[in-house]
Amino acid sequence: MSPLVIAFLVLAMLTCGSALSMLWTKNLLHAALAMFLTMLGLAGLYVLAYADVLAVAHLLVYVGGVLILILFGIMLTNQTDPATGKNHLMTRESGRLLPFSIGLSFFLGLFWLFTKGPWINNLPVTGDSKLKEVGLGLLTEYAFPFELAGVFLLIALIGATFVAKNHD
Amino acid sequence: MTDIPVIYFLWVSAFLFATGISILLVKKNTIFVLMGIELILNAANLNLVAFSKNDPSLQGLYLSIFVLVVGVCEMAIALAIILQVYRNYRAIEVDQFKSEY
Repeated sequence: MSPLVIAFLVLAMLTCGSALSMLWTKNLLHAALAMFLTMLGLAGLYVLAYADVLAVAHLLVYVGGVLILILFGIMLTNQTDPATGKNHLMTRESGRLLPFSIGLSFFLGLFWLFTKGPWINNLPVTGDSKLKEVGLGLLTEYAFPFELAGVFLLIALIGATFVAKNHD
Repeated sequence: MTDIPVIYFLWVSAFLFATGISILLVKKNTIFVLMGIELILNAANLNLVAFSKNDPSLQGLYLSIFVLVVGVCEMAIALAIILQVYRNYRAIEVDQFKSEY
């Protein structure tokens, strides 16, 4: 086995294991930490797929932005029971069997589909860092979607602050 | 050095997608449901990246960058809506939102 495949296996186990622990845990903060580990593993997988630009952007956005947002959301919606002083971070759940079987059947179906597909094998490999191509492409061929994404971000952030403010 | 086959990435992304679907169905907390949606988005992103590994014009990579931007926007708006819902109902469990009308 080549060292690349071993690195892939380690990262895939990190990603899948922490995703499973996200599913398994009842504590919202533990789930946020498990999501951090999942995002780290995913960034490693992106590097192994020669998408290092996306890996760095992914780390910046998810670990620096989305996770902080989620932690703030958890803190702001934290309910403390006045009688006992404990908070209700635990999610109440019921009926595990049906959702788990639906998830398992989704996985098995996708696994079967991907394994059967004739369109994924024997493609030529262009293995290299794509930093220069992505930078050039974002400013020439994909310049309009790039600017549109910027305007979209601005609209979303203004909308988020407007929605979250106290309207009383 | 041998290259990693595309199918390995597809298996990992299938696993992430199934986990996200299960989180959506099992959990009642709205923030938890959002995390499941993020997992599903990232599974799709991993697929795009894995296919653009063998594509000289890198279309999947560009699309996955824009998917990242849209995912962030969705997260910000959804958390703002969750805050507003919490202000009205004093709860963020999805089975406790009852209409008063």
